[in-house]
Amino acid sequence: MNEYSEDPFQMDEDLKNDSGGDPSTKNSALLEDITPRYEDPTYHSQSIMYQDREEIRSKIAHIKLEERNAANNNTTEEDEEEVYDEDIDDKFDTEQYNEQLQAQNGNIPHSQGNRIEVKAGAEASPILDEGAELTPPENFAPVINTIYRSSFPQPVNFTFLKKLKLKSILCLIPEDYPLLHQKFLEEQGIKLFQLGMSGNKEPFVKISSELITDAIKIVIDPENQPILIHCNRGKHRTGCLVGVLRRLQKWSLTIIFDEYRKFAAPKERPMDQQFIELYDEREIVKFAKENEFLPLKWD
Amino acid sequence: MSVTVSDHDSKKNLKIISQPPTLRIIPPLNFCPVEKHLYRSGQPSIINQSFLQDLNLKTIIWLASEEPQEDFLDYCSSNNIDIEFVGMMNDYNYQSVNPWDALTEGTIKKALELILNKENHPLLVCCGMGRHRTGTVIGCLRRLQGWNLASVSEEYRRFTGARGGRILVELLIESFDLGLVEVNSEMIPEWLKN
Repeated sequence: MNEYSEDPFQMDEDLKNDSGGDPSTKNSALLEDITPRYEDPTYHSQSIMYQDREEIRSKIAHIKLEERNAANNNTTEEDEEEVYDEDIDDKFDTEQYNEQLQAQNGNIPHSQGNRIEVKAGAEASPILDEGAELTPPENFAPVINTIYRSSFPQPVNFTFLKKLKLKSILCLIPEDYPLLHQKFLEEQGIKLFQLGMSGNKEPFVKISSELITDAIKIVIDPENQPILIHCNRGKHRTGCLVGVLRRLQKWSLTIIFDEYRKFAAPKERPMDQQFIELYDEREIVKFAKENEFLPLKWD
Repeated sequence: MSVTVSDHDSKKNLKIISQPPTLRIIPPLNFCPVEKHLYRSGQPSIINQSFLQDLNLKTIIWLASEEPQEDFLDYCSSNNIDIEFVGMMNDYNYQSVNPWDALTEGTIKKALELILNKENHPLLVCCGMGRHRTGTVIGCLRRLQGWNLASVSEEYRRFTGARGGRILVELLIESFDLGLVEVNSEMIPEWLKN
């Protein structure tokens, strides 16, 4: 016995053999034995302080939660700020680009050397119309057939968007659509769907799977195609939506995640990938089958 | 003794899998639509068969320096898919090229002319990983479409993975002489027209 008890790895077994019987009492006995005993009288006050801090933390978390619930559709402060910042940028750009557009319409050549250079190159090509320079929105790509994705389009992208002959646009952010954009949509006869949702922002804000389901219903309806899906950056909310679309196509998850990461880089969110994987597709599959929208076709 | 108890517990918690895993369709690496009936990707293989079936491909432009696998060649020939090997040989000394070599102007011209003939569509452009060679050809196509260079570069870099884009590829895209490309105006795909 003495030899065994010297070996630290044997101690547990020895103890078990001694106490036998109910494992739970045995464990608690063990725990008590190894729990350090604080002789220091301040120890207890410290632990109370710690508890208080914990309580305050959970209270703060609770208040935050309540605030968020009260605001309901609104995003968290952080998210809101970010979105508004970008929106102000949009508006600022809107004015600037408006002037640019007018300048172009009035055939006033743009003063930037770069533009002229590119234009000259474009004119040299045999196929191009009017030598116009096309600027797609950032993160633009076709998804399948005439479903497209991108970041928030800027007025400078309007010429490009015209070429897509869009029937509708699905916007996934809650803020009002800028006036100039609305005017463009009216001119082109493009229908605007807006489903304001917040992206996955750990730990409190989650993307809503109900809203994604609603969005998919709009997107896969041939009546609405060609359709452009966009949010702010075309990374997270749009990425989740496209991920779910890919699941409807039965793509393997690995490739879906790879595509998600490509468009979300360098700000990939594990939560978004988790959302794509865990999204319950039964309702949308039922809807799609009833309306004969599945399988999604490439042409 | 306690070991047997936990063993028993874990058996209790066992779940029966009632459904087999569902069939998953596997697109080739880095796959993305470019325009209607035009796609890009990394090197496809036979595991992508069920995916490729839906695309109804007529032509594959093969920019990789490696040859396709035997079973993939069989798949293509039985589905009447034309594989155009572009850029596997050096045009000057007829030696095979290194995988890291940039495309030559002649190769880009040839690839673009295949793309700009709608008789070849639906068409897939691919190389080893679908990054640089494919990116070069698609980048030049975007310039031909009148995209500005910043947008071309943004798209190219989206497909280049963690190690990012190569400056040499972007220089090649920027400096490629679009005037070299000869096209039959009747064969131009719809998306290139107004």
